Amino acid sequence: MSIGGTTSGISQRAVSDNLPARAGKPRGRRSFNTSKIMLILVMLYLLVPLGAALWFGLLDPTSFPRIFSDPDFSQTFFTSLELATASTILAVVLVTPTAYWVQLRIPQARPLMDVLTLIPFAMPAIILAVGLVQEFNGTVSPLINFLSLGLVPALNNLNIVNTPPLLVCAYVIISLPFVYRPIDNNLRAINTSVLTEAAYSLGSGWWRTFLTVILPNIMPGVISAALLTFSVVMGEFTIAQLFSIYTFPIFLNNVGQNDPHRAALLSILSFIITLICVLGIILFARRRGGSESTAEIGAAK
Amino acid sequence: MQSQGETAITNNVAEASTKGKRQGRRGWSYTLTSLLGLVPFLLFCLLFEVIPAIIIVQGSFTNNDTGAPTTDNYKHMFSQASNLHAFQTSISLSLVTALLGGVFGGLAAYGVYTLRTGPLRNLLVGFSSIAANFAGVPLAFAYVATLGITGYVTVLIHTLFHVNIYDLGFSLYTFWGLVIVYTYFQLPLMILLTLPALSALRPEWREAATNLGASTFTFWRKIGLPILLPSLIAAMMLLFANSFGAFATAYALAQGGINIVPILINFVVNGNVIIDYGLGNALSVGMIIILLVAVSIYTVMLRRVNTWQGR
Repeated sequence: MSIGGTTSGISQRAVSDNLPARAGKPRGRRSFNTSKIMLILVMLYLLVPLGAALWFGLLDPTSFPRIFSDPDFSQTFFTSLELATASTILAVVLVTPTAYWVQLRIPQARPLMDVLTLIPFAMPAIILAVGLVQEFNGTVSPLINFLSLGLVPALNNLNIVNTPPLLVCAYVIISLPFVYRPIDNNLRAINTSVLTEAAYSLGSGWWRTFLTVILPNIMPGVISAALLTFSVVMGEFTIAQLFSIYTFPIFLNNVGQNDPHRAALLSILSFIITLICVLGIILFARRRGGSESTAEIGAAK
Repeated sequence: MQSQGETAITNNVAEASTKGKRQGRRGWSYTLTSLLGLVPFLLFCLLFEVIPAIIIVQGSFTNNDTGAPTTDNYKHMFSQASNLHAFQTSISLSLVTALLGGVFGGLAAYGVYTLRTGPLRNLLVGFSSIAANFAGVPLAFAYVATLGITGYVTVLIHTLFHVNIYDLGFSLYTFWGLVIVYTYFQLPLMILLTLPALSALRPEWREAATNLGASTFTFWRKIGLPILLPSLIAAMMLLFANSFGAFATAYALAQGGINIVPILINFVVNGNVIIDYGLGNALSVGMIIILLVAVSIYTVMLRRVNTWQGR
């Protein structure tokens, strides 16, 4: 889904830190005021469709078993799982060393990284999909061939248009903001240069420092990034639909056109998947110390 | 800033000790290897992010059949009323949901913010994360189950008040139905975006204001809102961009029946009737421009926040 990404990245920061409470109110006054009422109303607004979906899905008693007897269900579910795993791994492996490298060697490149990770906000999934389909369908102009340093024609020869690998690359781009931001925040919060210095002075090389010293320290950020990417890809519909690859959200859409009861139950299942990912972030990406909240707030969003 | 200075100094020292160059001066090979480390990432972004954007812009100026440069696509886009209507619907939908989400989500965020840190607060924040992520196809069907013709709330209203909202003209598959659905993920997104920003309000200011005789309303009007306004506007721009680019929810609801720009692009590029990449590119460029405006306002506001509340 084109929107899921935007939300995920922001969600990880709020989820994984402990913000100071009670600022802006006189100490000692617990009043039940407009903001609390609004909070209750908003939470009700968010809970009602979930309850309604559960009720609606269970209205038809045969829908629950019919979900599991549908072969498409397991096929698309595992397709989505594979795509999500591949995208997560590629995103983390691509971005983490790069973020560390930028933090360490070329902090001047940070604005460039910010721009590159901000582009997906201006190019949502539908536009990215349209661009990718035209890029790799075999007919590109000489300008593109030149700009891409000859890589686009090379990839075209591999005939990768509308294939899962291209979908994985598209998913990595979509989730770039939410992968880069937590890892970058985490790198800024720990004293990267001092740690690296210490490791170098003890004789460690770059890769060894990265894998054994830096990576364990930024694990919360990496886990946040990974789980966010995973949950985004599991729910992504737009690009898969344009590439005609049969993933779980596409299956969900097809089911919904014919059988809204089953679709409601599958929606609850989708919700549970996201729930598990967010729980994972809360449990495993909790960072110690209060310094990260200031680093997060201070760092550009 | 400080960490950058630190890094520069420590980099220089590390450089001098490892490469044997003159202390304090980085050689050209250092800069070259520095850039080399970025190459995989830059290449990936170039191939899959930058070039598609260039292709879209270039394709919008290209004739579909002959490949010759032309502005026909844009003429086509502006001449057909349905295209302009799609933009209008998209923009108003995004503005309305950004405002609704911004106002109500902001108030709810303050409600969460003033809770004591504890399990309830973590639960609410966690739930907001999940709800913000719930957007897309599942949300559409959850709302069909809620406000569809046989949905829970529809039936509830019918049983309690004996009125069928669909008879009154309401439909989930129209503009206002879409507003209701989109607000579902805009609200938690606003909460998540505003929570960090609220920490900018120091309690001392509130106490000082009360000390000088300000009421709650005066405090918010003269102190609270002006301080928070850049963050709130930045958050609402993000909400706008979020809503403007959303495709899956609207598609799952009406399968292309609602005329908003992403649906239109999909129809023109992937539909069963005509395949017109030129028009699709032109529409995409329109979307990109509007989104760039939103993102620029977002960046400008964020810069103000960092300048005045910078740490």
